[in-house]
Amino acid sequence: MVSDSIPKVSIPIASSNPKDFAKKKRANRSAKLKQSKLDARREQYLSQVKNKGLKEEPNTGGTHGSAKNVANERERLIEKLQIKPIGEEDNEGSLNHYSDFDSPTSHTSSVLGGNDSGTNFTGSSRGSSSSSSSGGCCSGSVSEEDEEAEDDCLDDWEAVADALAATDKKQEQQNPSLDSHFERNENMAHMSSRQEVSERQGSGIDRSKQECNDRGLTPRPPLSCRAWRPDDTFRPSGLPNLSKQHSFPMNSERHCRRDSVWGCKTLATPMLCPICCEDLDYTDTSFLPCSCGFRLCLFCHKKILEEDGRCPGCRKQYNQEAVEREATIDGGRLTIRLARSCSMISRS
Amino acid sequence: MATMNSGNNSNTPATAAPVMPSPKQTQTTAKTVDTQSVLKRLQSELMALMMSGDSGISAFPEEDNIFCWKGTITGSKDTVFEGTEYKLSLSFPADYPFKPPKVKFETGCFHPNVDVYGNICLDILQDKWSSAYDVRTILISIQSLLGEPNISSPLNTQAAALWCNQEEYRKMVEKLYKPSV
Repeated sequence: MVSDSIPKVSIPIASSNPKDFAKKKRANRSAKLKQSKLDARREQYLSQVKNKGLKEEPNTGGTHGSAKNVANERERLIEKLQIKPIGEEDNEGSLNHYSDFDSPTSHTSSVLGGNDSGTNFTGSSRGSSSSSSSGGCCSGSVSEEDEEAEDDCLDDWEAVADALAATDKKQEQQNPSLDSHFERNENMAHMSSRQEVSERQGSGIDRSKQECNDRGLTPRPPLSCRAWRPDDTFRPSGLPNLSKQHSFPMNSERHCRRDSVWGCKTLATPMLCPICCEDLDYTDTSFLPCSCGFRLCLFCHKKILEEDGRCPGCRKQYNQEAVEREATIDGGRLTIRLARSCSMISRS
Repeated sequence: MATMNSGNNSNTPATAAPVMPSPKQTQTTAKTVDTQSVLKRLQSELMALMMSGDSGISAFPEEDNIFCWKGTITGSKDTVFEGTEYKLSLSFPADYPFKPPKVKFETGCFHPNVDVYGNICLDILQDKWSSAYDVRTILISIQSLLGEPNISSPLNTQAAALWCNQEEYRKMVEKLYKPSV
């Protein structure tokens, strides 16, 4: 996968610099490996999220009808492209624009990155661009970034906080910007201008790489693709809250998933009983005594039943059925389990 | 803590009796478990309250007893109580949060639903209590009660009668306001 492509690329380039080769190589490689693992994992996430993301995208705000069409068209196109990977020139005007837009960057790079599953290709623009960025970062920009790898990270450190906030914004803006690009695309009939546009829109990544090479620095600019990296690799456990706070509805799911590695442990898992503030165990979390959705632990529920028997969330009486079941907690649990196992057996 | 427990149990014999039957040992263990869970709840409430940063309300346990808190409420803006601050005492029963805490004004408060002793007539502190309420929601409720009294069942009839005249009421509040140091 991704990790395979890195050593192949990095070794020959690095070997041109024999002195600190071994040292650098080791440092870089460990960093790269670590990162490529993370990249791979991220792509996994993306491919998971994408299926939902695609469905959601039209619904959740920001994108309009045109974007929907674009997404559909791209999907269709990408299916074609999967059969005949590169080029696919000059079929119809409008479709061609999209193919221009999609094929050179995201496809090649995602091929490079070993983005295998078919669903990945049909991804939204967000997904493909970011996945391509990861691929690009690993394979393409090795030469310069190798030397700056460590410094990068330090520089980017400061940017992480900004980046976390900025990614959200940028990604939100990405869809509108695509729209405008498409409009532009349709207006411009010339091949050259089209290329220019496709270059521009195809990826901020390429541009950013260029900039990096030009300046010999890795600046902040395309946070939308760069931010993930340092953020993934070096993010401290204290940071994830930041992204949580700034997360926009459109990307919130993705953030949540990404945070699940780090953040959700501290944010989501300690589900506490609101009454006694003890952790809710598995039985408690699947225990929903009232239709209002107010959860509490079995102990507190039992206590309440001994008194007025009303739900703390809505003040309605807990219904009698639940009360009876609750009277024998263990028995109730047992029957539930039995029911489950029975259904399993009957299915198989 | 032990004295607190016994005191509270005598306050609420009805609940204490069925939970703890005859043997003495189970009684004590049950009691400690209870106390532990109340402690935990109160501690997390304190944390939540301190982290929440709500304006105009605060509360903190008394020196050595987490079952007794002192709270303060400032009168909301655009009410006759604007610019005044009231101290309250909250005492939590051993079966908190299944039973409401006893909340009283320590600072005299000229309000239709507060009597001269500082007792508050507020439904959520009595029959409408829910164990989902906490110190924060209590204080917020009392704060909003200041600006929106329930005139129909007053404890302080004079205040209730005067409420319709907000200007006069404001003067009365200022006259009677004695901030505790």
